[in-house]
Amino acid sequence: MRKLLANRERRIDFAITVALFLLSLLFVLPLYWTTVFATRSLQEVFSFPPPLWYGDNIVQNYQNIANVFPPFRPIINSLIVAVPKTIGLVLVSALAGYGLSRYGRAPGHKFLLAMTFATLFFPPTLALIPFFLQMSAFGWLNTFWPLIIPAMASGFGVVWMYTYIGSTIPKELYEAAEMDGAKGLSTFFFVVLPIIRPGLAALAVWTLISTWNDFQLPLVVLAEGSRFTVPLALTMLSTTHYSDMPAVMLATLMGLVPVFVLFALLSRQFIAGLTSGAVK
Amino acid sequence: MPTGRTSKTLRQMHRNNAFYLAMAPFVVIFIIFSVFPVLFSFYLGFNQWDGFSEPRFVGFDNYLRALNDPIFQKALWNTLYLWFWSTVVTVTLALGLAVLVNEYVAFGKNWFRMVFLLPLLVAPAIAAIILRVFFTSSGGLVNLFVGSVTGTPSYFDWLGSQEWIKPLVALLVVWRWTGWYMIIFMAGLQSIPRDIYEAARMEGVGRWAIFSRITVPLLMPSIAFAVITATLGGLQMFDEPYVLTQGQGGTNNSTTTIGMYLYATAFTQFNFGLGSAVSWYIFAAVVVLTLSYRLINQKVREGAAA
Repeated sequence: MRKLLANRERRIDFAITVALFLLSLLFVLPLYWTTVFATRSLQEVFSFPPPLWYGDNIVQNYQNIANVFPPFRPIINSLIVAVPKTIGLVLVSALAGYGLSRYGRAPGHKFLLAMTFATLFFPPTLALIPFFLQMSAFGWLNTFWPLIIPAMASGFGVVWMYTYIGSTIPKELYEAAEMDGAKGLSTFFFVVLPIIRPGLAALAVWTLISTWNDFQLPLVVLAEGSRFTVPLALTMLSTTHYSDMPAVMLATLMGLVPVFVLFALLSRQFIAGLTSGAVK
Repeated sequence: MPTGRTSKTLRQMHRNNAFYLAMAPFVVIFIIFSVFPVLFSFYLGFNQWDGFSEPRFVGFDNYLRALNDPIFQKALWNTLYLWFWSTVVTVTLALGLAVLVNEYVAFGKNWFRMVFLLPLLVAPAIAAIILRVFFTSSGGLVNLFVGSVTGTPSYFDWLGSQEWIKPLVALLVVWRWTGWYMIIFMAGLQSIPRDIYEAARMEGVGRWAIFSRITVPLLMPSIAFAVITATLGGLQMFDEPYVLTQGQGGTNNSTTTIGMYLYATAFTQFNFGLGSAVSWYIFAAVVVLTLSYRLINQKVREGAAA
């Protein structure tokens, strides 16, 4: 009797697994089709049934994009924005997170901690218009600066580093460093930074991907097509050359590849970064 | 001559100067590029300004003008619709998937953990471009499919249709975010002690009762977190409807969101005061919804404890 029941349960589990597998295909199918269409010609894409497997038109599609704009320009622009911003954001956040985590009794600590948490609930939209006017006053419009420098102060980044440092660095370590005569921020640079590398990596991956995907701020700040980051350039391409669907899909694919490579290399840190907020 | 107390504070601050050094980069950038713009936005909301002539103080005019604008009213309704449906569907689906993958999946757990997450890597703007390709009226995959099933070629304009555009935007949100919340719920499920389930099963409690009486209440913190993040994002929704409708908001503004309304007033009509007033409405909505979740969450916990 018990064995029969176990078999029945196992069969239910099997059926559920198969159903979930089919559902999961729905989530990747659009991406799969994007890659297939990127390698097909216009006629093949519009035929029925649509192609399910790869074709050999990828070079032609690439040339069609190249006729409109330099295909790697937006990718380079996105890297110019995302890499310095990520390095800056991670360092600034780690410093502030370290300060909040170690110096709990310093005057002003409570206020700064409360302020940092409060920023999590401030919609970025609130500052969008004055930020644009400010950038205009700085003469920073149509440059990459507005996308790099201001974004380095991230409430999320500080909260993440604060909780990470608080849970990985024992207080005794600070005492030991003090005994050894560590002054000022040398404890941070020589003792803390090497230990928190996984936390830094998680924040870096998360920042890189969200910067890469950012649309509204670049749309507001950048005016010239040659400065466009990936999502902006693709949006422009898809509205002006929408009839050449395979070329649009190839360009889309090119914009996705860097993020997917990064994810493949660092998926564990990425997922750790995603769940950080929820666990605490 | 400082009094005893201030000199003590000064001494304390001096002893902690590493703290202020560590905080300085964050605080300086934050004040210049976030605090100042937010204060300035408050000022702008009470003024009429096109960016060139002198700003003119108009009191609450901008706030009233937005409320009386039929397009703003429509944008408000659209935003609430998109926020509600995308949040309900995403969170419910993610919760179901997390429990099923955690408890029932027989093999390939890692596949499920990864595959639902992939859409999150795709920028909202890019996801909207891919969706456009699927739903364009001539040659879109969906119309090709409908045509082959019915036997007559279909040229239905999904993206121009007032009825379909909002569900399509919601679908985009569901597609991108379900995997994220699923991962969060799976992390939450790990923290529920197994022996509670064992005990319930020994008592002969059914699977559905275990889910609704044990799993959901214990997952309440994760669920509240998911709903609050979804709300913060949903109330500011911009990228998806903007790209999907090529910045037009769809036929008859059928998917213009508050975020798009704000963008249009500020950056195509150069009415910075009105736009700023709208941004404070978004802020107010975030505050109201976030606080009400907290209250509900607290009530649920008190109810569970009693």
